[in-house]
Amino acid sequence: MTVFVCGEEAEDIWCGIYDAWMSGLGHANVRLEPAGCDRELFCQYQEVKREETKAEKVIDSIRRKLSEDIYEVAYRAALSHDVYRADKIYRFLIYAFVVGVKVMDHLHNPAVYEVFKLTRNLSREYTHIIEFTRFSQMEEGVLLGRIAPENDLTPLVAGHFADRLSGENWILYDCRRKKAAVHQANKGWVIVYMDSAEWQARLNKKTDEETYEGLWKTFHQAIAIMQRRNVRCQQNMLPLRFRPYMTEFQ
Amino acid sequence: MLIQEELDIQEKLRILSDAAKYDVSCSSSGVARKGKKGTIGNTLAAGICHSFAADGRCISLLKILFTNQCIYDCCYCINRRSNDVVRTAFTPDEVCTLTIEFYRRNYIEGLFLSSGILHSPDYTMGLIYQTLRRLREQYHFNGYIHVKIIPGTDKGLIEQIGFLADRMSVNLELPTAEGLRKLAPGKTREKILMPMRQVQRGIAAQNLKALDGPARYEKALPEDRRRTPSSLRHEIGMADSAAHPGRNVWTALQSSSHQRFFVPAGQSTQMIVGATPESDYHMIRVAEALYQNYDLKRVFYSAFVRVNDDSLLPVLPGGPPLLREHRLYQADWLLRFYGFQAQELLSEERPNFNVLLDPKCDWALRHLERFPVEVNRADYQTLLRVPGLGVKSARRILAARKSAVLDFGDLKKLGVVLKRAMYFLTCSGKMMYPIPIEENFITRQLVSTEQRKTWDIENHNSYRQLSLFDDYQVAAPVEQEDQLSAMTGVL
Repeated sequence: MTVFVCGEEAEDIWCGIYDAWMSGLGHANVRLEPAGCDRELFCQYQEVKREETKAEKVIDSIRRKLSEDIYEVAYRAALSHDVYRADKIYRFLIYAFVVGVKVMDHLHNPAVYEVFKLTRNLSREYTHIIEFTRFSQMEEGVLLGRIAPENDLTPLVAGHFADRLSGENWILYDCRRKKAAVHQANKGWVIVYMDSAEWQARLNKKTDEETYEGLWKTFHQAIAIMQRRNVRCQQNMLPLRFRPYMTEFQ
Repeated sequence: MLIQEELDIQEKLRILSDAAKYDVSCSSSGVARKGKKGTIGNTLAAGICHSFAADGRCISLLKILFTNQCIYDCCYCINRRSNDVVRTAFTPDEVCTLTIEFYRRNYIEGLFLSSGILHSPDYTMGLIYQTLRRLREQYHFNGYIHVKIIPGTDKGLIEQIGFLADRMSVNLELPTAEGLRKLAPGKTREKILMPMRQVQRGIAAQNLKALDGPARYEKALPEDRRRTPSSLRHEIGMADSAAHPGRNVWTALQSSSHQRFFVPAGQSTQMIVGATPESDYHMIRVAEALYQNYDLKRVFYSAFVRVNDDSLLPVLPGGPPLLREHRLYQADWLLRFYGFQAQELLSEERPNFNVLLDPKCDWALRHLERFPVEVNRADYQTLLRVPGLGVKSARRILAARKSAVLDFGDLKKLGVVLKRAMYFLTCSGKMMYPIPIEENFITRQLVSTEQRKTWDIENHNSYRQLSLFDDYQVAAPVEQEDQLSAMTGVL
């Protein structure tokens, strides 16, 4: 067994898939793993080097030989928080290249089902994040939203807000990964890694938001019908893990 | 009536959202509209809920009344004329600023604007028109807007508002005309249905035109109707219809930058459950008629909350009838997405839903001759009628069985709720377990799984001691008398 050790980002995963596929060792004799997993006996470990051309080749053949939709599925799976996602995507693609574009209908196949589970989990969290992200206004009218998703959703969520709040300057900050999508009004957005002290200091500045946060809390309380109080239902719909980042629960 | 003009915005928001909360509809669905340069906002077809209140209901829109002053005296309404509550009103600018600032922070998906009736329906709707127009044109708001139509509003005004809003709704309030007469003396059935019909026709006409080709319906309104009326006079609506008495209901309004559609997200309505003695059968018959005859997107059901002490209103010691409301929603889904008809679910003889079982299980148990269904062969409509299968899982089954023969393990992967479905399905001719297709047996099985859920809906906030007899269905112990009567055969 040869294990290809690849990084966390989508591009690393494409490169890993390229290396594993092109190694010519046979699909049954290779495996993809992220760095930091326990190593096994009788396995050869091979580091995957990140190269843009390799990733491009993989993406291009998925798009061309399969379809845009399947690339979308694979890309979303690559953003998932599952540790073994790289290998799952690899198995999925092997099967997809056999059966063709209708692969997502083959949910009974374990390889497809695994990837379906990843994307389902990701889509559910995506829905929650676009619902529950709260922006607050910093100096110069810049909106700052903090999120802490399990899956690496920042690029997807940024796309949503770029369409919605195209005329605003905003930062969507992922507290878990310390990276952010920074959007400039009427331009576009880029991913910025914010682990530097300078960014952290800027992010931690107090926002001047008492008026609207107060109004929102007032509204949130007034709109509940107390005769129908149902905290458990509320918790099912709005799980506790999102609340630390939400204005109305602070 | 005490009218407070000088309240601060926080207090106003508290009063006017508190007064609006009994309106159920909070959906922001039905229209997908991309963002546009120079505007703020977009809409998604599925809608987005942004928060959940302590009662577990979703908060999607900024749900407020424009004013809680009202000329009507509806028994069930907290804002009725004879109630002694603090009255206030927003200004159009306050509504716009709140909407935009909340929207920027991703608190809300848009605005839900309803109102008590100040002076007359036309005057109030005139104010609402001003507000929406300002929000769309000055504040460039491109998000979702839901407006309540006040029955009795002038047609021309409704049409103008329809081009600014995404969804409009008139509340049916009570399912029968008598109920309405008794509890809402200011309103009549005809007055409520009239704007509903108007909106329906407007949407239908627009769809027809769209089929003809987009160029044709870029017809601008006459100049006098595009001007912003100079003040908040209530004549706007009146004068307008007088000027165009016989004009077609449908006219596209061409705004300065882009073309707008008439009520693109359709219309909805709501009925109060449990304020009047109508049966469930009656309620879903009315809902069905509304879906069929008025093309409504949604009918909402609102469990009656007794906010006023009025002798005409029922006393509900168990609180609002939440389980009944829940069953009505379940049935409503069956009508809209599952191809059921009201008469199949209930009848004059069985006018109310089973407390213990959901309407679909209940129906299936009364039609056991149709089951079990073979997963690998049954058509879509048949699959949809199996308890535990939904629209999504039925579609997945259709797709998956093209390439494989499905078994129960696969069904679980496809999202089928086997807990319910296993009594009604076969895979390749075999049931999951050797189960008798027998009504009493399956009912018992289903009830015990459903019971906890039902109990939760009714008693969601209380705690109580477990009871061996009630919770685990242990029958009462056999008494000596029973043994005696069993022996002698005399009851």
